[in-house]
Amino acid sequence: MNALPDFRLFRPASAGEAVRLNTAHASSRFIAGGTDLLPNIRRGLFNPAVLIDLGGIPEMATITESADGLRIGAGVTLAKLAVDPRVVARLPALAQAALAVAGPTHRQSATLGGNLCLDTRCRYYNQSEFWRDSIHHCLKLDGDTCRVAVKSKRCYAAFSGDVAPALIVLGAEVEVLGEKGARRLAIADLYADDGMAWLTLKPDELLVAVHVPFDDAWTSAYEKMRIRGSIDFPLAGVSVALRRDGANIGGLRIACTGVASRPFAVDGLDVIAGKLFDAAAQTIVAECVDLANRSMKTTLVDALFRRNVTPVLARRLAQRLWNGA
Amino acid sequence: MNAPDRELQRMRVPDEHRGVGARLPFVDGVEKVTGTARYTADLPAANALVGMILRSPYAHAELLEVDVTEALSLPGVRAVVTGDECDMPYGVIPIAQNEFPLARGKVRYIGDPIAAVAAVDEATAKLAISRIRLKVRELPAYFKAADARQPGAVALHDKKPDNIEREVHNEFGDTAAGFAAADLVREETYESAEVHHAMMEPNAALAAWDAERGHLTLWSVTQVPYYVHLTLARCLKMEAAHIRVVKPFSGGGFGHRTECLNFEVICALLARAARGTVRLLQTREESFLAHRGRPESHMRLKIGMKCDGRLTACQLEMIQRGGAYGGYGLVTILYAGALLNGLYDIPAIKYDGYRVYTNTPACGAMRGHGTVNTRFAFESLLDTMAAELGLDPFAVRRRNLLTAPTDTINGLKIMSYGLPECLDWVEQASGWKQRKGKMRKVGDVGKGLGMSCSHFVSGSAKPVHWSGEPHAVIILKLDFDASVTILTGAADIGQGSSTIITQIVAEVLGIDFHRIRIVANDSAITPKDNGSYSSRVSYMVGNAAAEAAENLKRLLVGAAARKLGVPETEVDWFGEAAAVLGDPDKQVSFAQIAEEALVGTGTLAVKGTFTCPPEFQGGKQRGGAVGSTMGFSYTAQAVEVSVDLELGKVTVDKVWTAIDCGFALNPMSVEGQVQGAVWMGLGQAMSEETVYENGRHLCPNMLDYRVPTIVESPDIEVHIVESIDPNGPFGAKEASEGSLSGFMSALAAAVEEATGQRLRMLPITPVRVFAALQEAAAAAAMANAEENRP
Repeated sequence: MNALPDFRLFRPASAGEAVRLNTAHASSRFIAGGTDLLPNIRRGLFNPAVLIDLGGIPEMATITESADGLRIGAGVTLAKLAVDPRVVARLPALAQAALAVAGPTHRQSATLGGNLCLDTRCRYYNQSEFWRDSIHHCLKLDGDTCRVAVKSKRCYAAFSGDVAPALIVLGAEVEVLGEKGARRLAIADLYADDGMAWLTLKPDELLVAVHVPFDDAWTSAYEKMRIRGSIDFPLAGVSVALRRDGANIGGLRIACTGVASRPFAVDGLDVIAGKLFDAAAQTIVAECVDLANRSMKTTLVDALFRRNVTPVLARRLAQRLWNGA
Repeated sequence: MNAPDRELQRMRVPDEHRGVGARLPFVDGVEKVTGTARYTADLPAANALVGMILRSPYAHAELLEVDVTEALSLPGVRAVVTGDECDMPYGVIPIAQNEFPLARGKVRYIGDPIAAVAAVDEATAKLAISRIRLKVRELPAYFKAADARQPGAVALHDKKPDNIEREVHNEFGDTAAGFAAADLVREETYESAEVHHAMMEPNAALAAWDAERGHLTLWSVTQVPYYVHLTLARCLKMEAAHIRVVKPFSGGGFGHRTECLNFEVICALLARAARGTVRLLQTREESFLAHRGRPESHMRLKIGMKCDGRLTACQLEMIQRGGAYGGYGLVTILYAGALLNGLYDIPAIKYDGYRVYTNTPACGAMRGHGTVNTRFAFESLLDTMAAELGLDPFAVRRRNLLTAPTDTINGLKIMSYGLPECLDWVEQASGWKQRKGKMRKVGDVGKGLGMSCSHFVSGSAKPVHWSGEPHAVIILKLDFDASVTILTGAADIGQGSSTIITQIVAEVLGIDFHRIRIVANDSAITPKDNGSYSSRVSYMVGNAAAEAAENLKRLLVGAAARKLGVPETEVDWFGEAAAVLGDPDKQVSFAQIAEEALVGTGTLAVKGTFTCPPEFQGGKQRGGAVGSTMGFSYTAQAVEVSVDLELGKVTVDKVWTAIDCGFALNPMSVEGQVQGAVWMGLGQAMSEETVYENGRHLCPNMLDYRVPTIVESPDIEVHIVESIDPNGPFGAKEASEGSLSGFMSALAAAVEEATGQRLRMLPITPVRVFAALQEAAAAAAMANAEENRP
């Protein structure tokens, strides 16, 4: 389709009103920047009767600072996030991740919440209706077979947001609002390892803000593998946070994106706390990252290559932070 | 022509009239950058119906039934057309027409148009498409040339039982003797993935059917309005006189639109069936499915060389996966062999080419048509052999230079040859002598330099239709208002042809640039032109424009003489005025001259034409016309890269490109064209490739089909060499294609220096570099283990 299908558009003035509208209309979707949603609607991936524009909600568009950290509204644009001086200075992984999303024009309208709730992606799913018709669809939409892993009962579409792993290593929490009120959860708990149901948000819930604590003992960074330096989604994205304790590693956190249906924290890194960041530690980093990798044939770029380069990105980032810490 | 001490003729470039040689922005640039330019999709047509195409979901199938009854009965549907609507096959090459605008009897690739609807809006059109019922019998499908050529494979087309559309076999000189005389003979295999033009503007057409008169007007994105016109007349069985074809502003072509494409005919069929106006916009995916890009190519190349680098013989086997239809493919497979010639002096060449039908979108012409993959293979092997003999890449190329004027062994004429100067500049500018082979690794980043040469035709000297007409015609209109209007059929597709033609007319007449307008591409107004392909416009239309301007000037000088009361020989022509020779005070203005010129005759319409003489139209061998041209452009380039040795990622740091374009009619435009060509080569070299899975295009969008972004775009320094071609307009030749084909091998050479690995398959993606590095590391470990064995 060249034209968008017909829909009703609401523009609520508060998050509460947005939640009520969403509950009142069965076939509705929230829209913020629309950089992912609108192309997906054009391709027939969604056909919502109602769109609820979050752009008119002041509480979602601001960054507020407290002694503990930042509350970043889900509607803050990635362009704004990437240059916010507090984010740049104290939460560098977040600024770098925001800057790594798509291209400059996308980031002007794309939002933090949009990137966190980004639909999972797959070579068999992000295609036109004509295309998907011709393969009789797939598990994620209108079909019964996963085209990536034919015998699989689950969908392997990859989560491809850049910002989530940065927030994971920074220990962020998300604030969600539902019919029964607000709740906060650790960012990692926002996600499930399922390409079809990758968000744990309940149907009535709206992601309102992200709380990121300041902890200047930690340094952090984000990097992604991609073919082109702009536009591309991550083939593999890695965020690392490191705390130095004298001559030793005080703590190391690593999170990945683009290599599974959810962004995830890498396990098993505790063993290197209290040690030097030497060759042995580097090997542990690489092994832990490799172990956690779930790259599948979801992109045109070879899954094995994506798997192979992820530990390299992690090791290099950790080394860079170690050298700079 | 080529003596290094030759002094190049510099054209006089006075600021006031902005003739040739001036760095001018495009005459149609203002509209483009201010957004007021109207492209086909933007044209106002208030009541236009929406056209939409039903495309085959089958790669290869017999079409048993196309039932449109239900679609036709929907309210708001004004027309549904199928293959029954047109039984005339079409194709740009008159002897290879095997494509129908809507499939008849068979579909041959996923995306092959089967039916089309015109409806009051897009939603209705979409609904109607979904109500068309197909009955098919699926056939075995082939997505690789090798599979399509297997014995027993089902033929895509009648009369081509082995799925080979065209075989080319020729030998010039004695290759056996050449190889026997060589000190070193090497044979190697090279491959390139299929690439697509990815022009910025997706395809679109607007067709208006005049029901009272039975006339048709079509607006389209085409590079070749004339071929579209002919094809419409053929497929709609109409008088050509009843058809008008207009090309509005166009967002690029790069060869995608050098033949009439199915959507153009379908749009016209719909408009006639609906007895109204139909707009047919194509999605990006549909534009990818129309394809016509550079074919997936497998090359087996053998070269013989003396110890000093002198070439003795060359043998190439080229297999191209052509796709489902003929298109321009016959020319592609011929070009791939013919243009082994014309760049270096090679005493003997044997060529075996095969263009194979497969169940994928048809390939065709793309910037550097036919030559690009051949050049990648040739320059790559040249480097490899030079290294083996301990020769410098520049030295081995210099050892094999041509001397113009000369004829190649396959009958091509070389009249000007600035490659030596190109090599000199690139060698010096890139710091080659000081740096090549000494690039230092920094951390995990390897560095490398590579270089190559390439060339391209300045227009195909033998036209596709041998109608006996001149190759190009320009009309100049001078009227009461003392304005000059240029009428041209040459399609400005962003390459700047309208600007170049205007500059040539301004140069010859010497008048104010703003007195000149150009009207292009409306068959009702402008003279026929073959179109914008094979880099023919500057050379051929440029020459016609110069002749037209000379013809007009002759009339104007006569008028000035009458006005001044002196013989024509005593008129001093200033352009905006004329004076008596030696007496500048006795002057008449251009307006007065124009007024006088119109006395007794009225509006002047003056013509200029250009025809390539027969001796330039190629050798006598079958297919010898392909590759023939009046002048070749020459390029040398050097590429500097950094390679991340852990990730396999290549970054191009800098490119130095020198082009011999004969004479730069507009140096700024030449630089832009060269940078664009290098950049397009960079795309094919590094990241672009179409991928099909069971015939299904996996990347029909600008996210997965990865054209380089500005981040990947290096600084490209362009140096212009002016060899002043004896037949080109003011000495000019081609400037926009030749620089593309050298990029790939130069990149491969630079990557080899950085990594130790020579990649022979395009594109050189991080995945392939990574794999090559892994393999090399594994092999080294194995060798090490062998060595250490007790």
